[in-house]
Amino acid sequence: MFRPKIIGFVCNWSLPIEVDLTGQNEIDGYPKINIVRVMCVGRIDPTIVLETFAKGADGVLVIGCEPPDCHYVEGNLQAEQKVKMLKKLLSRAGLEPERLRFELIHAPQIGRFAEIVSDFRNHAMMLGPSSLSGEKPDTNMLLNVEAARAVAEDFRLRVLLGREEELIESGNVYGDKLSQTEFDEVLDEVIGAEYLRNRIYLLLKKEPLSVKELSKRLDLDSPAVLRHLVVIRQRGWVTVDRVEGLSPLYTALEVGQ
Amino acid sequence: MTSAGCSLKDKRKLPPCHAACPADVNVQGYIALLQLGRFKESVELIRKSMPFPAICGRICFSPCQDACSRKNVDNPVGIRYLKRLAADIEREQGRIKPDPIAKTHSEKVAIVGAGPAGLSAACELAKLGYPVTIFERMPEPGGMMRYGIPNFRLQKYVVANEIAYIQDLGVEIKTGAEFGKDVGIETLRNEGYKAIFIATGAQLNRELGISGEGLENVLPAVEFLRHVALGRSVDVGKRVAVIGGGNTAIDAARTSLRLGAKMVLILYRRTQKEMPALEEEVEAAVEEGVKFRFLVTPKQIIGEDGGVKAIECLRMELGESDASGRRRPVPIQGSEHMYEVDTIIPAIGQLAETSSLPPILLDERARGISADSLTLETKLPGVFSGGDIVTGPASVIEAISAGKRAAVSIDRYLNGKDLKIGRAGEIEETTWVEDWEKLTKKPERYTAPHVDKGKRQVSFEEVDELLAKTKEAAMLEARRCLECGPCTECLGKYGLCEADKAVVDEALCTGCNVCAVVCPFGAIEKNEMGVAQVDEDLCKGCGICSASCPERAIDMQHLTRSQITTQVLSALGGGPI
Repeated sequence: MFRPKIIGFVCNWSLPIEVDLTGQNEIDGYPKINIVRVMCVGRIDPTIVLETFAKGADGVLVIGCEPPDCHYVEGNLQAEQKVKMLKKLLSRAGLEPERLRFELIHAPQIGRFAEIVSDFRNHAMMLGPSSLSGEKPDTNMLLNVEAARAVAEDFRLRVLLGREEELIESGNVYGDKLSQTEFDEVLDEVIGAEYLRNRIYLLLKKEPLSVKELSKRLDLDSPAVLRHLVVIRQRGWVTVDRVEGLSPLYTALEVGQ
Repeated sequence: MTSAGCSLKDKRKLPPCHAACPADVNVQGYIALLQLGRFKESVELIRKSMPFPAICGRICFSPCQDACSRKNVDNPVGIRYLKRLAADIEREQGRIKPDPIAKTHSEKVAIVGAGPAGLSAACELAKLGYPVTIFERMPEPGGMMRYGIPNFRLQKYVVANEIAYIQDLGVEIKTGAEFGKDVGIETLRNEGYKAIFIATGAQLNRELGISGEGLENVLPAVEFLRHVALGRSVDVGKRVAVIGGGNTAIDAARTSLRLGAKMVLILYRRTQKEMPALEEEVEAAVEEGVKFRFLVTPKQIIGEDGGVKAIECLRMELGESDASGRRRPVPIQGSEHMYEVDTIIPAIGQLAETSSLPPILLDERARGISADSLTLETKLPGVFSGGDIVTGPASVIEAISAGKRAAVSIDRYLNGKDLKIGRAGEIEETTWVEDWEKLTKKPERYTAPHVDKGKRQVSFEEVDELLAKTKEAAMLEARRCLECGPCTECLGKYGLCEADKAVVDEALCTGCNVCAVVCPFGAIEKNEMGVAQVDEDLCKGCGICSASCPERAIDMQHLTRSQITTQVLSALGGGPI
């Protein structure tokens, strides 16, 4: 029987006392998952979640406190925002976004906790093994998730996330406010563009490729590939390796990402 | 993560609740444990500061709650009810039985009076390793907690249970030993006691000073309550007048109702606003049918056949403010009126019994013992005194505070140390909140049940269910806490120390200010170089800044990013579980 590998990132204040972190004692009706206790789920850097998937987790469960309660005022909301972003990244990467779940708990009571864990575990069983788990992880998917991870590290994206509330409620330095829809559009645009740029970069890291070849491998039209190439060339991520026939071949440079 | 690693351990910045507690209870700490449903641990934490969680959970006037910051948002956290529930759960599920503490000192200490002051002093001294004996005149220890506060507010078994804890620590209690008769300073010294703490309280009733006071059915409140507590039968008749506006007056009135009185009247010379009694107690009295007459003072008691027939009163009006800030009541001439009653219970204050005390100890007016307010030293070396006998009638929590101070003094005295140095430490109240308006309102989620009314029969299953619900409500109520204080020092022992702090790698910081924007506590600001700086007093170690920093320039001191990754890897590397 398939037993999904699940990592639970659980806030200290949501974790029932009955849950044994050493994993030695089993509680009735409570399937075991591997729990990483953090003081607040707001502490979960999106890159950590993507790394967890890259290392072969079949599911990631994030459990925080239900509003209006949060030991750190709004760490739960911070986490929710990051999970939302991560789901977008996962779908870009082609990994099922429902492998990541965010749950809120009213008070750290074992009953509700067990329910959440069981439900997610059943869901993970239904989804089957992740293409990154097991002996032979899908290399293409690995590149995708690696690209997603690089996006989660992106300065622009992180500034945008950090300032979401500010941009919507009080506006930028010029006093321009964004609506939630406008903000989401900007965020989607950043995620989409940065994902492709990182994906191109990772492909070029393996071997020099032409725009045509990149376009084929990424299933993306050539002008779009070229547009992103121009940007990352300006950033100093890539350079022309050589010209074959009429097509220049690009290659990745070492960048301190 | 141990408390030893807590960088804030020695700071005296305290949340308002802790700063307000005379017994120095780490309120924020035990409330945090309650948020996690750790009821036993929270009781143990309270016991580190004072031995009466269940008693104070019932009858403390809870200055912590009055100080609670949440009052600026909606209503204070129900600290007292939470303490009571935690203590009750701990007791019902089997009180933690401490191991007797090894007697590491040979100097014997005698304590006179087993009230809250004496018991607290004994508890603290026992924890320090002193052999302690308490001498108590009554048949059972507890003082006013046992003989002054009626059962419906504080059951005797609750008092007994908390005293048993102190006895478990190794404190010896000798009852039936009256100071000035069975024991005295000289006899104690001859028996080898190196230090003495006198905490005999204020056991006498202040007299009304009007005619008819000596009549048979005039029962001073303290005596009346003591008789009831001793289980003696007291006949109050059908109509009772209680004189006074403090908790003792309310207790006497409610006790009279329970003894069968049909009409109980409280006569108070000021208005309801000036009543010193706890608001909840006044409300309970009103609910039970106690009647109040305000701005009334007794003029004389009219007797008939040796008993009481009526009480003649004068109406009052409020004049100038007095020293206590309350407006002084002045009688209105010719306003005499009568109340026909069977029993009169004066409850206008208590006095210390000073006749049995050595005169050298007494203050100028011989109203009590004169002792230093900080060190509790008296004029006799090695003799300390505190509680009501020094301050006049006050509260349990203040008596506990005195007992604790006495223990510190006695320990210093016996070790030949200075009694004063470094004791009156400045405490700074602190809270991270700058704008109360921004905080979410949270209605109260738990209040203590009214046990007295409509006792119902419930099955064991229902009790379990009820308890689970009650526990959850309490956990949620505890979550209303704003965590004003910088660090709940205590939690290190339970692996929950919040002393984790954000650390900025200044070489990586680009000054984008995102950390300052996301920090819920306003703990991060840029310095003049444009580099993020963490204020350790305000940082609570949540790690939100670390997860959000665009340059990943912030990590946590204890639970670092690489530690989380290592945990994840080892979990995944170990194969499916």
